Amino acid sequence: MKTIKLQNNSLKLVKDVLKDLKASPDLGIYKCVQCGMCTSVCPGASQTEYDPRDMIRRVLEDDETVIDDENIWNCFSCYTCNSICPSGNNASEINQILRQMSIDKGEGIQKIVSFSAYGDSFMELGVGSIPNTFFDVMVKDVGPEYMNLKLNIEDIRADLGLGSYILPEEAINEVESILDNSGFKNRLERIKRCKK
Amino acid sequence: MKFIPDKDILLFKSCLVNVEYPGIESSTSYIFDRIDVEYYVDERQSCCTGLGHYYDLFDQLSTTALAARNFQIAAETGHKNIAVMCATCYAILKKSANILNQNEEARNKVNKILDDSNLEKMEYNTYDMDPVKNIFHVAEIFFNKRDKISSLVKVDLSGFRVATHHACHYCKVHYNDTIEGVRDPNLIDSLAAAVGVETIGWYDHKRVTCGAGFRQRFTNKEVSLAVTAEKLHVLKENEVEILLHMCPNCQMQFDRYQPYIENKLETEFNIFHLNISQFIALALGADPYKVLGIQTHTVPIEPLLKRLKLPFNIVDQKENAKAEKSLKN
Repeated sequence: MKTIKLQNNSLKLVKDVLKDLKASPDLGIYKCVQCGMCTSVCPGASQTEYDPRDMIRRVLEDDETVIDDENIWNCFSCYTCNSICPSGNNASEINQILRQMSIDKGEGIQKIVSFSAYGDSFMELGVGSIPNTFFDVMVKDVGPEYMNLKLNIEDIRADLGLGSYILPEEAINEVESILDNSGFKNRLERIKRCKK
Repeated sequence: MKFIPDKDILLFKSCLVNVEYPGIESSTSYIFDRIDVEYYVDERQSCCTGLGHYYDLFDQLSTTALAARNFQIAAETGHKNIAVMCATCYAILKKSANILNQNEEARNKVNKILDDSNLEKMEYNTYDMDPVKNIFHVAEIFFNKRDKISSLVKVDLSGFRVATHHACHYCKVHYNDTIEGVRDPNLIDSLAAAVGVETIGWYDHKRVTCGAGFRQRFTNKEVSLAVTAEKLHVLKENEVEILLHMCPNCQMQFDRYQPYIENKLETEFNIFHLNISQFIALALGADPYKVLGIQTHTVPIEPLLKRLKLPFNIVDQKENAKAEKSLKN
């Protein structure tokens, strides 16, 4: 008689995904019926080879190569897939977890290294913004007025009756201390070391 | 329908409102002051980490620990309700509150981080922050007070053809808490109606993302702007003159990049981009430069103001730039 033997670890990837801190307790990945609603409404899928339905199938089939698939970096994090899923699954959230797995493995770091200036600004001012790595391209795309806005922002805010957007020193120290103890500071250093 | 507060509100500062469209904050304050909303802004409040979170740069634990600190600032000052001007702040803060309330292991880790940072006083206890009862978008606060807003309208904006762009991170992340529709979102349409403006309502692509896609705008620009351009084309087909926003990132994508897309595609869209706070403040008679902050916009708002024939001292930025240039020459 033929029997089907389920591999012991056949659900390793999906279990790892569900264990992740980002995974909502009600994440319905096991309920996925592969209907493809997620892919049909996905801006990433309409413009690139990214296919959230296929990504979910590969997670459920324990296909770890999905972590290294370039296409997972084409998700827009718009959550349209989440809002429309009839099974309560959230492909956008799972995508974010897979990207973190890729970063933890090392390969994914190259994908985020250009954003590391955001982390520096956060540690320094207690606020983030568009990473200054991209200022030049923004000024080129938007026009020189964009640079003027950046240079005069505190004056413009004062004209609008708003105070400085930078946190007081004591608050910045608190934020920095939290980010040191949470491991973010080390993580940021590790990412920056990968700068080519 | 969930309960929406009008007092004990921490107006939560947003990184992109701060430095891209600060007029969203001054407009929000202008409206809150006139509709009897009791609120407070705290200079110690840090960013939510939203952009960093969706650049995949931040880890969830760090984001959650910073949220716990901000929640304690809100509670300590007697402003336990948070109102955000950015849809991503909304999604990030609600998620962090969910984790802190539901995941004991994560809560303990966050409290250990706070202890190690000499912030024992900021330790988080379960349901210090209720994501449904305490976290709102300012548009929801306006919606709750829309009758009051209607009674204060001074400027007739009904002559414009207006459409709305509902932010994904308000509508589609915690969709059970979204008011006025998820698949057919109408929250800001209802607010436009409150100031006497009937929007075009549903249009094809109404619920589609702005296209910013966080990393996409910077590392995949062609793809990002293709999504934006598609929506702009549909709006043009509908002869839309003003697109209303509820998220500074969406506003940036459309306002900063519309001229760029027009150049690339050799077409004109001529659509003004205003946040719903700026639009309501304008209807209530607020000054365009001292309250709305239109001087930080890329698509000039002056032509819109000229059509209103209001006694504003309108600065023609293009003429000014030309004059400055000729002076230099």
